[in-house]
Amino acid sequence: MLPLSYSVRNVVARPTRSLMTALVVALVVVACTLLLGLISSLKHTLVSTGHPLNLVVMRKGSDNDGSSQITLEAFQSIRFQDGIARDAEERPLVSPELVVQPFFRTRDGGRENVLVRGVEAAALGVHDDVRIVEGRMLRPSAGEAVVGRGALGRYADATVGSELEFGRGRWKVVGVMESGGSSFESEVWVDARELANDARRPFPYSGVRLRAASAADLERLERRIDADPRFAIEAVPEPEYYRKQASSANTLYVIVIGIAVLAGLGAGFGAANTMYAAVQSRTAEIGTLRALGFSRGAILAAFEVEAVALSLLGFALGAALSWLLSVALSRWLGGIAFGASTFTTNVVTLRLSLADLGGALLLALAVGLGGGLGPAWRAARLRPIEALRRA
Amino acid sequence: MAPLRGVRYPLRMPPADPFPGPPPSAPEEATLIDIRHVSRRYRRGVDEVHALEDVSLRISPGRFVAFMGPSGSGKSTLMNLVSGLDRPSEGEVVVAGQSLGDLDEDELAAWRARHVGLIFQFFNLIPVLDARDNVALPLLLTELGKAERHRRAETALRVVGLDHRLDHRPNTLSGGEQQRVAIARAIVTDPDLIVADEPTGDLDAKNAEATLGLLRELTDAFGKTIVMVTHDPRALRFVDEVFHLDKGLLLEGSDAERASEAIRLAAGGHASAGARP
Repeated sequence: MLPLSYSVRNVVARPTRSLMTALVVALVVVACTLLLGLISSLKHTLVSTGHPLNLVVMRKGSDNDGSSQITLEAFQSIRFQDGIARDAEERPLVSPELVVQPFFRTRDGGRENVLVRGVEAAALGVHDDVRIVEGRMLRPSAGEAVVGRGALGRYADATVGSELEFGRGRWKVVGVMESGGSSFESEVWVDARELANDARRPFPYSGVRLRAASAADLERLERRIDADPRFAIEAVPEPEYYRKQASSANTLYVIVIGIAVLAGLGAGFGAANTMYAAVQSRTAEIGTLRALGFSRGAILAAFEVEAVALSLLGFALGAALSWLLSVALSRWLGGIAFGASTFTTNVVTLRLSLADLGGALLLALAVGLGGGLGPAWRAARLRPIEALRRA
Repeated sequence: MAPLRGVRYPLRMPPADPFPGPPPSAPEEATLIDIRHVSRRYRRGVDEVHALEDVSLRISPGRFVAFMGPSGSGKSTLMNLVSGLDRPSEGEVVVAGQSLGDLDEDELAAWRARHVGLIFQFFNLIPVLDARDNVALPLLLTELGKAERHRRAETALRVVGLDHRLDHRPNTLSGGEQQRVAIARAIVTDPDLIVADEPTGDLDAKNAEATLGLLRELTDAFGKTIVMVTHDPRALRFVDEVFHLDKGLLLEGSDAERASEAIRLAAGGHASAGARP
């Protein structure tokens, strides 16, 4: 076989042509990496929200907090069920919550629906991944709010010490919360009773979140709540609830894959074009190699290696560019806003994972192998006598 | 193609000075190349071109022979058949006891790698490789390690007087130097046969003489069999034998003598010595 250095040197020996092809592949890698990163970040945001021992209790038939209502009686019946975990002071970890979706003014002058969650003291016990990272937790009946890291800075006055204006009142921001990138970071939390008054909701809660003491208790609680004939309510494990919310990203995923394949085909033609030109300009060289005794397989492999080297160069350029862009998008735009199925806005921080880069690498390799195959085959098929004569 | 397992190319060239020591003697009566009633026809559009018609000849080992003739005479076609780059339409080509018609494309490629060293008019060096790597290129088809390949390539370059240009790429070498690199590449595998296609065609007079002299020395010092296609009348002073071709036919007897005479006259003093006996 011809040495690897032969193929690599041929890439280096024609810098302009090689760079142009690599740039085409790099652009495809950038598009593919950023889109895959966006989807995986969105999925991470939604799917990572939810504790395996948490149940979401909603009105039967509701598929999200926003469209559910729970009566006070129903809440009380749930609260004292067996199998619910308790905090250090033996209070059951049950968080009644009210969700409304008012418009917030964004800093650039637009308007977006933001998920405002009315909570009580138990909220941080049930949502134990939520941490106050700046300021403090809100106090009940004090007109206070805490904002998620994603909402911080995106909306006008969503900073500690400022007053947020939504609904009929004004809410003083007293803290900032983080939850490991989950969708809680896109929310604003206020006191549940104040929110119910402000929104003039006939029912005090949208739903209830509770923490089961164990996995077995979770199943028993789920069955018991679903089977209670007094209230038309149902319980869903929290991860499952968010998985359903994340299904909105599936369509996007298919679209992105489609775009990636189309872009990859385009880049493949670009690579093929370069390699065909290389075969054309190196007919004498191919003839010489064949005349010296190199087999068709050796020629095929050498040209394929060259095409793959070009695509790997493109991948390296594209991956570096994608990383820079993802950092820039997160730093300067404060993340990317996505409309959730509840019509509220999820702010996603773009994070490129190894899987995203792996996907782009596979695409780049496919571009190189696919684009190089035709020209390499043509080179390998050249009979030495014809190649030498043509040259 | 996989490396030729078990194949070694014992480079019988000395490691230091070019051409010391006695040349290995080839048996005079043996035949290295046996061309039997060979014809080569091919299609050019609707026409059938008769490039060679019923050519038979034998070449003994250790001889330096030239195929000469005007353009379209069939000399290059004959050279391609001898080197296994092409196949005859009829007849048989036997080189070193191997009937080339029995080999498929990849077998033929492997056979060429083992038995034939090729020299081209335009040198055909690989532009991205330096002189040493160009010369070592055919050795990639053996199982020799990199160090040994380089050692042999350096020896071959020393033989052609270019051991001071090991790391130079073709575009930094003169035409004469490039042709010497190509000659080193042709001998590095110690082949039975060296085939040269117009080796002086792209060289000035001085380099052409030097190249012909070098080929002559390869025969004298190492007993190499060299088949050369050339228009160059200077070649007559260096070769052992000339085969004249015209319109696809091998000229014999008085026709061949007339062709030789015409070349001598055309060349003036260059070829006055004639072919060596």
